[in-house]
Amino acid sequence: MTSPLNNVEHSDSEKNSATKASKEKLLIDVGSTYFKLSTANNLEQHFRDFNKDILADLMHKCGDTIDSFGKEDVHICSSANGGLTTLIIGITNTFSLKYATNIAFNSGINIIDTVLYQNIEDYSLPSDLIDVVIIVGGINSNGNVFSDSLYNYLAQLRYSNIVFVGNELDAPAIQENIANVEILPNIIDDRLHIVEQHLREYLTNLYQKDIEGKEDIKHLYDITSNQIFPTPYVVNKTLPLIDAKFSVVNPFILLDIGGATTDIHYSKDLVDDNLVTENEYDRLVFKKLGVYKSKQSLIFAAKSNEFVYELLMHLKVTENIFEEQTQKATKILMQLAIFLVLCKISHYKKAYINLKLLSINSIVLTGGITKVLTGDEIEDIISFFYKKILNSEHNPVTVLDSNYDIWTLGEQGKELCQ
Amino acid sequence: MKVVTGVVGNDIHVVANRLIELSLNARGYEVFNLGVNTYLEEFFDAAVETGADVLMISSLNGEAEGWSREVKLLKAKYKHLDDIIMMIGGNLVVGTGNAEDIVPRYKNYGFDIVCHQVDLNTGLDMLETLIKDREIEARNK
Repeated sequence: MTSPLNNVEHSDSEKNSATKASKEKLLIDVGSTYFKLSTANNLEQHFRDFNKDILADLMHKCGDTIDSFGKEDVHICSSANGGLTTLIIGITNTFSLKYATNIAFNSGINIIDTVLYQNIEDYSLPSDLIDVVIIVGGINSNGNVFSDSLYNYLAQLRYSNIVFVGNELDAPAIQENIANVEILPNIIDDRLHIVEQHLREYLTNLYQKDIEGKEDIKHLYDITSNQIFPTPYVVNKTLPLIDAKFSVVNPFILLDIGGATTDIHYSKDLVDDNLVTENEYDRLVFKKLGVYKSKQSLIFAAKSNEFVYELLMHLKVTENIFEEQTQKATKILMQLAIFLVLCKISHYKKAYINLKLLSINSIVLTGGITKVLTGDEIEDIISFFYKKILNSEHNPVTVLDSNYDIWTLGEQGKELCQ
Repeated sequence: MKVVTGVVGNDIHVVANRLIELSLNARGYEVFNLGVNTYLEEFFDAAVETGADVLMISSLNGEAEGWSREVKLLKAKYKHLDDIIMMIGGNLVVGTGNAEDIVPRYKNYGFDIVCHQVDLNTGLDMLETLIKDREIEARNK
């Protein structure tokens, strides 16, 4: 994709060439803050009007483009339904909880809480309705793992869906004691390896049903006859193809810093882990590190980080910048988001996963951040992070996906798969 | 009977690890081999997931002692591992040392069987003896 951005007008010949358009595809990404449209020759990006229904807003701003395509040629992905809230109950951190979390992230789930089953009685109950509860634990020959404490906890929990992906021996008791539970094959095989397929399909379908059920998004099916996929799922599919568009040297990480969340996609080479999957790349999400919808929590996270004041000094601003509503303040927030995300995935913070950041050769940035920061501003933050946190002069190459090529590639790849 | 085994810490002695797996298989155990570079928490978590009866840690580069000091503390966090047989073997010190000093030290760390520079089959015989003793003890209760 080499065309310029933002509301590029279609030429007359394009507008009038219905035959040509019908052979092309229109790719649409509906994000929490922006939506983007891509055709073979054109890329548009629009800030969403939150007073309008998504479809009405879309048709108002790009109706001509959409009208020139048949429903079968329109492919949509979205992260605007907010994602599914997920609670995972597992029996160990290293296997059941980690495997289920990995599958959930790779299926496009954003919000994940975990409960270690042996301590289930110590956990407070989430007050919000949970979209899906996942129960997992034990290889198939290890039964009697779950008992009444699980059923007592679930009896007090409010959830819409529940799935059991643990050992076969406990499945009948689970079926008997939990109403409407879906039983799927175990995600842990007899060699303690992960089995992703069934849970991944289940979660992707649930996401699909969630989209269909959300008033705002289900209207999008008026303009497409294809399945609407979660955006992160599409981006994850792109990564093996990334060489086609960028000179990216492996291993790399991709940071998608958007309005509501920050997604990280990383090569598996960067993790020393017991998790052996068929994916070349995995994903994780920081749900409170967006620069628009979750701006306040980003500022809170920044204020809690001991190095942030030094970073602000380095950027020649004070913390008063957090109160400002200027372009400069947005830039600083974006820079902080990069720094905080790198901190969270480094060994500086113990997290679900820590990446070997000194081995990274490239950092690819996509999402709204590429529209706000220059390459130099991003590199400045990255080298500050490496010096301050990792005490290293290591300087990975920064690649900016300013034209959203990654998402376009993913959408095209997805379309080829269909 | 299920055995979880692996090489602890930053130790990549894979040949010994493979030999242990083969020998355990030959003696009829169901083996879950976590391989080299395994952290202590992974051993315990694997025991929980598999319902293992024996946790067998090996080490050749001698760093086992640093990890073993954490065994009691970590094991105490697990609610259902009280009966698991804890076994460690290989070269258990950096440099030289004699078994009379090393074995009680490791037993104090929480291991039931300690094999410092002991032949693999001898170590597995020790395991079988302990299993039989426990069975007799259980029957007599």
